[in-house]
Amino acid sequence: MELLTLMIDGEKVSAPKGATVLEACRMNNIPIPTLCHDPALSPAGACRMCVVQIEGMRNLPPSCVTKVMPGMKVETQNSKVRNARKTILELLVANHPLDCMTCQKLGNCSLAEYAYEYGVTGKIYEGEKRHLHIDDANPYILRDLNKCILCGKCIATCEAVTERNVIGFAYRGFKAKVSTFLDTDLKDSDCVYCNRCVAICPVGALMDKSMIGKGRAWELTTEEATCTFCESGCKFDINSRNGKVIGVTAKSAANGRPLCLKGRIGSDFKYNPERTEMPFINQDGEFVQVTWSEFLGLGNIVEKINSLTE
Amino acid sequence: MEYFTLTIDGREVSVLKGTTVLEACRMHDIPIPTLCQDKELTPSGACRLCVVQIEGMRNLPPSCVTQVAQGMKVETQSSKVRNARKTILELLVANHPLDCMTCQKMGNCSLAEYAYEYDVTGKVYQGEPRHLPIDDTNPFILRDPNKCISCGKCIKACTEIQGKSILDFSFRGFETQVGPAFNLSYQESDCDFCGSCVSVCPVGALVEKQMVGKGRSWEVSKVQTTCPFCGVGCNFDLNVKDGKVIGVTSNPEAPVNGKALCVKGRFGMDMIHSPHRVTTPLIRKDGVLVPAEWDEALDLIATKLGEIKTNYGPNSIAALSSAHCTNEENYLMQKFMRAVIGTNNIDHCART
Repeated sequence: MELLTLMIDGEKVSAPKGATVLEACRMNNIPIPTLCHDPALSPAGACRMCVVQIEGMRNLPPSCVTKVMPGMKVETQNSKVRNARKTILELLVANHPLDCMTCQKLGNCSLAEYAYEYGVTGKIYEGEKRHLHIDDANPYILRDLNKCILCGKCIATCEAVTERNVIGFAYRGFKAKVSTFLDTDLKDSDCVYCNRCVAICPVGALMDKSMIGKGRAWELTTEEATCTFCESGCKFDINSRNGKVIGVTAKSAANGRPLCLKGRIGSDFKYNPERTEMPFINQDGEFVQVTWSEFLGLGNIVEKINSLTE
Repeated sequence: MEYFTLTIDGREVSVLKGTTVLEACRMHDIPIPTLCQDKELTPSGACRLCVVQIEGMRNLPPSCVTQVAQGMKVETQSSKVRNARKTILELLVANHPLDCMTCQKMGNCSLAEYAYEYDVTGKVYQGEPRHLPIDDTNPFILRDPNKCISCGKCIKACTEIQGKSILDFSFRGFETQVGPAFNLSYQESDCDFCGSCVSVCPVGALVEKQMVGKGRSWEVSKVQTTCPFCGVGCNFDLNVKDGKVIGVTSNPEAPVNGKALCVKGRFGMDMIHSPHRVTTPLIRKDGVLVPAEWDEALDLIATKLGEIKTNYGPNSIAALSSAHCTNEENYLMQKFMRAVIGTNNIDHCART
């Protein structure tokens, strides 16, 4: 692997040939804000939050789609760069519904995180608000397109799932939105509710319906788990609050099959009041609760073992 | 000691006579929302968020000022109770600036926490917003009276914990405000900037100015530590983000001080990352202070003290010890002066 040397914020750093400036920064713990980028997806260069200043280049190139060159001189935090990012944020926030007080995504919302960091309050540009219908017709995903920032990550992640490709951009300009085929609700589309789009959405446009009102990111503890439903070995994060599991978040946006509906909603079974912990045998048309040794045909083996140890 | 048995949400519990219903609930992990209550302060029953339903009582009594009685039957989550709380929250949010996206308190704001739990979005009542001036004239406390919910906890903290009584309510009705006398800024008042008011404020009306923009509660890890400024041994939480201390918050479990701190402990910790901090001994050489090794510095002091003692006698030397040191270090200092140097010329900054 060929390593290139470049200067970022006055520090000499090395990055492999072919890496993007963003990757070089992240490898060296230099923070760059991004909204449309995910390491598992091909870069789109859409949100422009990752702009940096590079000596000799026109304008401010987005670092996620700019490859490193030997001897490159990159500035990631100068006032020109920060002002450009701030303006982008101001424009995004201008027509964003600022209901952060009760928004399920807060604590995990990249837009709010950067708005806080860049001091963007939404008072500079007061944009026209969208009044799109909220899609809550299915039991799994709450889709509020008024909060969508059109980063396109949900589309890219859906595209990566075999036989899905359920959503794409529709309409133009201010009316542009992420839409299913014929702009239907998710329930009338081919969506199987794998919720990978939810896990990757940087704002509150896509939310896990089962978690709404049950706790926000900072109140939850997350633990990585391997799904028990099948042998694919998908890993995901189990979110709990006060010791109670409230939901599951997909780990990766693209590789393999990181999550299916069963894995995601299966966490509910744990608290199903109808869940049985003892086996039943159908006797004369009626289910009768029996012990495990009876069920397994082992007779009174447990008693025998116990009598031997006494 | 007399115990009363009561039923809370169908569950039988026994608590000491004199306990409030709120305390009985908290002892048994039954959650009750509160805005104006703090266990370090006297209860005021002001916010009414802790209302519960008690069999045989008129209306919904606030649990923070209602003492338990034998056989009491309490409901904490019935729809009547939850609706009452929701209406209270709707009214509080009606004129609250909803800039939660960038508000420093978010993540630690009780109003937002309960609004989220009770699904209060601020759309039911659209109240007249206040446009009061923001007090940012001092370096420590940012006061935005537009966000104040008039719970009165800051007033009580100033009076009951700090004993300063700088803050109180002024004006009436919609105009009600909390602040120093004559509506002065904190800076112009007698405020010591102990920040006790900030530590109890349940909303974004009082925030630590140094932390604004540096990180919110969910991004920081809290490290409990003992204040190095003096020998009292106050505990607090250092708020650390990305390996950097961005500020200090009270730790209610602090054994010595509870939530109380002084200005030095609460707002002086920026010294940790101060570029002016002296981290090596300095020795004056040809009129200029030059960084030196500890061994070199200690040798120099020992030699010079020895010379002075020989030439001018032990009483020509005096030591002033520091409240930064522990009791043990201060003891050693006086022992050193009396037993090694041979003088009683020893004093301490906190004695003057």
